[in-house]
Amino acid sequence: MIELRRHNAAFCRDCFLHHSREQVRKAIDDFEMMGPGDRVLVAVSGGKDSLALWDILLDLGYAADGLYLGLGIGEYSADSAHHARAFATRREARLVEVDIPAEFGFDIPTGARAAKRAPCSACGLSKRHLFNQAALDGGYDVVATGHNLDDEAAVLFGNTLRWNVDYLSRQRPVLPAERGFVKKVKPLVRLGEREMAAYCVLTGIDYIVEECPMAAGNKHLGYKEALNAIEVDSPGAKAAFYFEFLDKAAHRFEAATMGEAEVELRSCSSCGAPTTGDVCAFCKLVARAATP
Amino acid sequence: MKGPLRVHRLLERLDINRESVLVVRGDTLVTGDALLEDTDEIEVRPVISGGSS
Repeated sequence: MIELRRHNAAFCRDCFLHHSREQVRKAIDDFEMMGPGDRVLVAVSGGKDSLALWDILLDLGYAADGLYLGLGIGEYSADSAHHARAFATRREARLVEVDIPAEFGFDIPTGARAAKRAPCSACGLSKRHLFNQAALDGGYDVVATGHNLDDEAAVLFGNTLRWNVDYLSRQRPVLPAERGFVKKVKPLVRLGEREMAAYCVLTGIDYIVEECPMAAGNKHLGYKEALNAIEVDSPGAKAAFYFEFLDKAAHRFEAATMGEAEVELRSCSSCGAPTTGDVCAFCKLVARAATP
Repeated sequence: MKGPLRVHRLLERLDINRESVLVVRGDTLVTGDALLEDTDEIEVRPVISGGSS
């Protein structure tokens, strides 16, 4: 049914599903992502990665609720919300929803323009802030996101092209809990995008296939295309790039930034979230969007 | 397209990287060496997403 060239293997349906669950279990164990009693908040977009992740975590026995953020991106947001809710109903799982336009008075495209940020930048900033806040409010032990091997390899590639040492020192499958931030984990890092799509097709999970209209032509997609051009001739290249980085290079970048003065964090005067300034970046975005 | 044609050959003809798609026939996936006939209807589904979830 599906060949995974980097594993030099092809799988029937049942074996592939077993393989997927075992790769998630291995990532959780190898990187100590979560314990059996942890309450997990899964960031869910309605896409293949986050729905597959939620499905697998539930099958592995974790107490996993979903969090869906409404971004106000027209039909795309309506469709993605529908897929997230349908999955939650199918699995009888709890879906927490936060609607940015309703609760904060702006949508991502408008907010991005007002703050003079690229839409993906405003989106990422909003997601990180709201995932963390929802996890704190709900008493969750860990936030799990659906970043897969292809995502992490593409981010690593982009950071390496520019030698963004600060980002390279922090790119890990686990970000520990600290100073107002809930632990964040990426349990899908051992699985590629093809595998996540295949998982959904083979389990009948209906996910939103259409790409976010704001993402068209972005650098991240370009990096993925470049890496796939290498992978097609050298199966396993993406996995080697990412996991050998973690094994052999990540600690060197961490050490290189260790001497720098630790950034002082305080509480945002508007919402209480950790920030280096008086007001956090998300509250600044909300304020700018309110006064175009 | 005229069959019989292997899936990976079809993708080469369409200039599609096999790492970036799934090929679905009916309700099942097909591997790169699967043989497609004239009457087969397949979906070549992109799997690459541009942002994080």
